[in-house]
Amino acid sequence: MEQLIKVEFPNLWLLLPELAVLLTGFTLFTLDLLYRRLNHTLAISVSIIGYLIAFLLLLLNWNAKGETFYGLYHRDNFSNLLQAFMLLLTLLLLGFTRAYYEHRKSLYGEFYYILNFALVGSMFLVSSYNLVVLYVTLEAVSISFYILTALLRSDFNAKEGAFKYLMLGGLSIALASYGAGFMYLYSGSLDLRYILTHIGENQYFLVLGLVLFLVGFAIKIGAVPFHFWLPDAYQGAPTPITAYMASVGKLAFFAPVVRLMPYVQEHFAYAWITTVGLISAITMLYGNLTALVQKDVKRLLAYSSIAHSGYIMAGIAVAEVIGLKAVIYFLLAYALMGFGSFMVLALMERVSGWENRLEQFSGLRFSVPWLAFSFMVLLLALLGIPPTVGFVGKALVFMALSFEGLWWLALVMVVATGISTGYYLRITALMFMKEDNRSFNPSTSASERLLMVLITLGVVLLGATPIILWKFVSLSAENLFAR
Amino acid sequence: MEGFPFISVSMVLPIVGSVLLLFLKEELAKWVASATSGAVFALSLFSLLFFDFSEAQKVQFEERYSLISELNLSLHLGFDGLSYVMYILTTLVSLSAILWSTRDHQISHRLKEYYAWFLLTETFLIGVFASLDLMVFYVFYELTLVPMFFVIGIWGYKLRMYSAYKFFIYIFVSSLFLLLGIVSLASVHYKQFGKFSFNYFDLLKNGYSLEFEVFMFLLFLIAFAVKTPIVPFHTWLPDAHGEAPTAGSVVLAAILLKMGTYALLRFNIGLFPEASVFLMPLMVLWGIFTIVFASWFTISQSNIKRFVAYSSVSHMGFVVAGMFLLNAEGLRASITEMFAHGLTSSALFMMAGFIYNRLHSFNMQALRGSIKFMPVFAVLVAITGFSSMGLPGGSSFWGKFLTIVGAREYTLLLSFLVVVGAFFSAVYVLYLLKTLYLDTKEESRLIHFIDIRGFKLLALLLMVFPMFLVGFLPFLFFVFYDPYIQNLLNYLISKVGG
Repeated sequence: MEQLIKVEFPNLWLLLPELAVLLTGFTLFTLDLLYRRLNHTLAISVSIIGYLIAFLLLLLNWNAKGETFYGLYHRDNFSNLLQAFMLLLTLLLLGFTRAYYEHRKSLYGEFYYILNFALVGSMFLVSSYNLVVLYVTLEAVSISFYILTALLRSDFNAKEGAFKYLMLGGLSIALASYGAGFMYLYSGSLDLRYILTHIGENQYFLVLGLVLFLVGFAIKIGAVPFHFWLPDAYQGAPTPITAYMASVGKLAFFAPVVRLMPYVQEHFAYAWITTVGLISAITMLYGNLTALVQKDVKRLLAYSSIAHSGYIMAGIAVAEVIGLKAVIYFLLAYALMGFGSFMVLALMERVSGWENRLEQFSGLRFSVPWLAFSFMVLLLALLGIPPTVGFVGKALVFMALSFEGLWWLALVMVVATGISTGYYLRITALMFMKEDNRSFNPSTSASERLLMVLITLGVVLLGATPIILWKFVSLSAENLFAR
Repeated sequence: MEGFPFISVSMVLPIVGSVLLLFLKEELAKWVASATSGAVFALSLFSLLFFDFSEAQKVQFEERYSLISELNLSLHLGFDGLSYVMYILTTLVSLSAILWSTRDHQISHRLKEYYAWFLLTETFLIGVFASLDLMVFYVFYELTLVPMFFVIGIWGYKLRMYSAYKFFIYIFVSSLFLLLGIVSLASVHYKQFGKFSFNYFDLLKNGYSLEFEVFMFLLFLIAFAVKTPIVPFHTWLPDAHGEAPTAGSVVLAAILLKMGTYALLRFNIGLFPEASVFLMPLMVLWGIFTIVFASWFTISQSNIKRFVAYSSVSHMGFVVAGMFLLNAEGLRASITEMFAHGLTSSALFMMAGFIYNRLHSFNMQALRGSIKFMPVFAVLVAITGFSSMGLPGGSSFWGKFLTIVGAREYTLLLSFLVVVGAFFSAVYVLYLLKTLYLDTKEESRLIHFIDIRGFKLLALLLMVFPMFLVGFLPFLFFVFYDPYIQNLLNYLISKVGG
């Protein structure tokens, strides 16, 4: 140790959004402790107000860049963008959860603060380069997700999903921390940027550490062959939580990998392209092929989520600015589409006897036209039909791949997307082309309908005017690359 | 009126119409749709007054709205002679198809949706022909799939869902290759000029090695060969056209196939001149192969809609062969044939749909001699048939004749091959006409048939009358695209050097 770190008061200004969210969490926790029966309207109001305040603070901090707590925390445009999306998605989620849990008779006070801890963890996870912070927040997010998954009264599937998630999630965190240990052993630093820019001879420990670290994250994002927990957890979890894991969870777990992209080019360019590209190819093929044979729509969308991880990883394989832009755009796009599509299922589950089976969707257009139309738009967006965000994302990934000359991966992606046509279209066709006399109507409130329409409109309009998202995406990618 | 945004107005009008009719009563849907597409057609005719024919190689009615300036992605719309012809064909056929639907028995339920999808198709099709930005072109190209998917799947005949899937999957998967090609061109532009661009005129400046150019040519070709279609990529077409409702088949055959040929001409030949010249013999022979084989397939059909559908494939063979002759006559033949086939195939599909309404069968055996007691209809079908066959004075005559002339500029053998193709394509039309007119059937059933009248007559006349124009006054059409062809040939010579 040549020099001691100069102790100064940390710049809390940068941390204000997280602090606001954390404060909301503690308030919710206290409320739950104080009241024997928590008033859920109060809890939701507190959450919404807290997150809105956090969002406003985030907007105040919008162009703030910098580090605090001696480099443990790093705020830049990238983290701002992702955090804004996370807050918005959480706000959207709160519009749906109460009726869902009431219907399943599982309305617990714990839900609000555990959701809050997941959010705090995610917000930190997207804004750090430090191995310890990454480890701790990864734990925070994961444990919250295990609990949220299991939080459904007398539902065997939820327990099974949560348990599988817990086992493999624990493994992933063990691997990531083991890898982090090796990297520290090699470089004597916990800062990923330092580790990857100061590479000497004899890189075995570094490579070993990096691989283990990345495998840990690969489990979390559901990359094949580390995906086995994902379909069960997604299917078993309460559907709004599935939507949350597929959106905010994806954003959070992908972010540290995305942050690595500017640093791997110098030393690992070839290895990075081959390994990430290969895993991406396997993931998208496996995800889509397996989704094709699913009879349960929730599970099908879970496999489609795996496939989308594959598309995103195809962008990650291109460690260039254009690849980074594609990845960030696609991540945000998928967060929106995945959230919306799972939320459609959450609404449909109000119908008694609804099990998300494929054939139950036939003739949905006649019973619930607005929801069927929303679901159609979301499915076509997942497929990548213009002018939706899904299309823009896919086009950008193609652009990144052609820029790098990764033709084989591009062709695999073409094939994988072609396979996915089968199942997205099947649901669409069932909803619109089969005439069914059953009539059922999930009792949805006006606010839920409004939110659903907003999500659908967002998917279309953000895709039709790509400049809105692109401005932010482009800026944050360039900032990341400027190091 | 000089700066009037003809294109965006004619794209926005159908959207407005389709939104409007969703809020109106079910019975009013057809009238709103007819009025809207009629207005767009009138607008397209009116725009003729402002089109400068002497400068038809230049882009006119240009409009540009930036989408992502960093990527040079913009909604860049404009017509030159080639796309202008296609635009007029689109508005004409859309109007005719919607008029036909108003009296079609197949279209008896979910009317609002039906007409809304049709109007949206019209918007997207105009977008396809007008866009000068490749990404925007792709967006519209893909978007046309969605309404047609629903039109086939909801209002089609027995195998409608299967056909709708097949249609969507074939075209969607093949067009992903196109997407890959388009973004690759933008990447190449970045590497050569330091900025991304999807604009057609920017991408024209790209330089490629021959291998890369051929690779790109093939990526584009996969998409357009399926769309056009060229044998052996045609297998989606008989199903989609055979099972779609009449108006759906009309739009599919008359315009959606033209998207493929139009794009082949504009993008494959325009952007990859060296690869085009390199692959020219292959493409011409492939086109002739398509003519001959599709003609044989046609004759063997027992379902009249599939019969007409296969005949479309054979016509597309002429378009492709003519186009890749890469001389003035061939290109002229190709573009004239695109327009002419739009008319004749529409009319033939209307014929099939009309007879189905009377006989409830598409079987060639069942409809022998069925046309006898409907004189007006019989005359119109005869005109269509002979036009399609390429009888002098018929609309397809110029397409076939000029292809033969163009082929003669290379070798006698090649033009002989085209003649063989033309022969087979005449055979199936004669076979069709013989079945409809000359074969006998007990006449007691036929005598009650009511002749074509009203809106259906109007729709059919809208197709038949322009056939005369193309057949007898072809120069009216040549003025649209002759400057374009001249310009293209000069460009090819400057690129390839003779």
